Amino acid sequence: MNHVLAFAIFGVDWQFLKPYIVIGLAFGGVYALSGVGLVVLYRATGVLNIAFGAIGAAGALIAYYIVNHTSWPHWLAYTICVVFGGLTNLAYGMIFGPAFSRRDALVKMMGTLGLALILLGLMAWRAPAGGAFARFLPLGTTQTRYTILGTSVSLTQLIALLLAFAITATVTAFLRFTKLGTAMRALADDREVTAMLGVPVRRVEAAAWFGSGLACGAAGLLLPDLLTSLDYSALTFLVISSLAAALIGRLRSLGATLAGGLAVGVAQAILSPYTSVSAYRSAAPFVLAIVALLYLSRHRVVTVSRAAG
Amino acid sequence: MRSRYLRIGLALTAVAAVAMMVVALANSAGPVGSGTASATKATCGKGTGKKATGTPIKLGGIDMLIPGVDFTTIGKTANAYFQCVNDNGGVNGRPIKYTLYTEQLNPAQEAALARKLITSDKVVGVVGNTSFAECGTNWKYYKSKGYVVIGAGVQAECYSTPSFAEVNSGPRYSNVGAAQALIKAGAKKLAIASPDTISAYADGGPALVAKSHNIPVKIFPTHLPVTDATSQLLQMYQFAGDGGGILIDFTPDTAPAFMKAAEAQGIVDKVLWGSSTPIANTFMSGQFSPTFDGHLWIDNEFSNVDPKVGPDSALMFQILQKYTKIAPQAFAQMGFLDAKFAVNALLSIKGPITAKSYNAAVRNLKNQKSDILCKPFYVGNIPYHIPNNTNIIVDYKDKNVVVRTGCTDFQAVDKAIAQTRKWEKQFKLN
Repeated sequence: MNHVLAFAIFGVDWQFLKPYIVIGLAFGGVYALSGVGLVVLYRATGVLNIAFGAIGAAGALIAYYIVNHTSWPHWLAYTICVVFGGLTNLAYGMIFGPAFSRRDALVKMMGTLGLALILLGLMAWRAPAGGAFARFLPLGTTQTRYTILGTSVSLTQLIALLLAFAITATVTAFLRFTKLGTAMRALADDREVTAMLGVPVRRVEAAAWFGSGLACGAAGLLLPDLLTSLDYSALTFLVISSLAAALIGRLRSLGATLAGGLAVGVAQAILSPYTSVSAYRSAAPFVLAIVALLYLSRHRVVTVSRAAG
Repeated sequence: MRSRYLRIGLALTAVAAVAMMVVALANSAGPVGSGTASATKATCGKGTGKKATGTPIKLGGIDMLIPGVDFTTIGKTANAYFQCVNDNGGVNGRPIKYTLYTEQLNPAQEAALARKLITSDKVVGVVGNTSFAECGTNWKYYKSKGYVVIGAGVQAECYSTPSFAEVNSGPRYSNVGAAQALIKAGAKKLAIASPDTISAYADGGPALVAKSHNIPVKIFPTHLPVTDATSQLLQMYQFAGDGGGILIDFTPDTAPAFMKAAEAQGIVDKVLWGSSTPIANTFMSGQFSPTFDGHLWIDNEFSNVDPKVGPDSALMFQILQKYTKIAPQAFAQMGFLDAKFAVNALLSIKGPITAKSYNAAVRNLKNQKSDILCKPFYVGNIPYHIPNNTNIIVDYKDKNVVVRTGCTDFQAVDKAIAQTRKWEKQFKLN
């Protein structure tokens, strides 16, 4: 049945598509993980952090340096990569967050663009690409492979997918059942009222910046392995697919963000073997986001009033 | 008090004497590239060991630098060779001043830079150019100005116009050599991938080889930088099948993504792997050996990157170590040869060194031997130049690059190759 359905939809057999779906789900897991981080931060602070990919890339380069140029254990390098994401995000939020807090969302977002450009410049300066200096940050888990439904799947791919589900479930529970989570939700609804009710706004925002930064660091660690190269520009633009996932979740729903991330990953992967459309697969995140937004807003009514004259 | 000053003075004198002795001992070892050239020793220019101080001779070059491909290694190595020449007497006492520009695959920029070099910078010669597109953009301009560029080529115009004399075979012919080797090793199908900007030319050659052997072939033009190496590799594997051949034609910036993907997918030993020259270096073998040991058929347009191969190879390693941070690799061999032959042309000039005399000297280059090449380099007054038409096949073993088969003529898939080999005999070019 699966074979028939896949053939009817894609014009190819199931066996042909399976490995691409596995690749897409793994990438989708990373997009979803980043998307959830973006949504949590946006809900708590109103900031759409487009430096997300650049922070992850910088963390990955630090881990690369530690793995290849020091005798420190690899686990420490990976931990530093994740923690770097959290601390950098936190530092930006604490230094610039208050200054931007009363500005509109676009200005807040442009502030993070500045951070992305600074990080990109630093990476290009300290770790220029080119020559015989291709970089890799392979994880040991990639060597462990399983055969699932007749397709080879690496442990890293499984981790990427399962981590997305685990983080989404944990963050959802955290927002619903903990005091800090409730405070974050309250901040998302009305910052001024929340502050007047005695909620320590700065502390709650700091938790959001740090938590979303950890997600960003984790994505920065997983993506070079899945991409099979540590290309900081590719990692920096990871934010595009993650942003699409977050938009599919309307910057509110973590479950929809997870589904959006997976959909973006799978759509990009299964388009790649089709020569006629593969050149356009990078547009998949935008197309999916637009379709999802149009569908989700189908019952909304736009009211136009004429000013009394 | 006086005796205290005396003691300090004596101590300082002793330190200075020891320092001078150390400097003298260091100098007695001689700078890189100095001495007398012989069958076992190569020198930079005349190898005098003295710094050149005269009026600089201006040379320049243009290398492409885009995400995923960095050709500046070639110009930088050429510049290192010129610095070595300058430290060894220069060209009859005159140092070489080399200007290297980078371009981003932009025809307007390429055209502007060529004009800047020739009309503003007033270089007498253009050396060390490598780009996906610069030959096509500038060959007519160079021809109109009477310049012949000694460089390393990529696209068709580098090998089909009189304006370029490339020290390498280029991706088309390197891929031809690799395809031949894969078919000889038993590949029954061939999947080939090159950057999409050069795919039609670079992959056309090996496709002709496959067709001449009735072997199914499929080309996978690849947009750079690569963001989905695993997906593309799976497509290539699905076409080639177990025992088939996968030929990748990428620089060390990009090829590793495919090789890492092959490792991750567990298909390294399921197909025969072919490649053009750029991955034939110990940086890459260090990364991919032992996984790829015995599975690679890399066409190398030059001798193995090893200082023991001969005097030029040894000198290249010394120059790279002293003047650059560049790892020994094929692109360094290209830059070394570009600069060496340019200096040979300069040294052959009797009289004033001008753009006219330099480019005439370049056209007169014949039988330029180097242990880095299978056959001597030449330029000559012929309509196009493909002097590097004999390659070797290498593989990885124990973190090193090892030779599978020695110098072999690659298949004359184009009439130009057969014609070139005729001219070589007719005009005694090498």
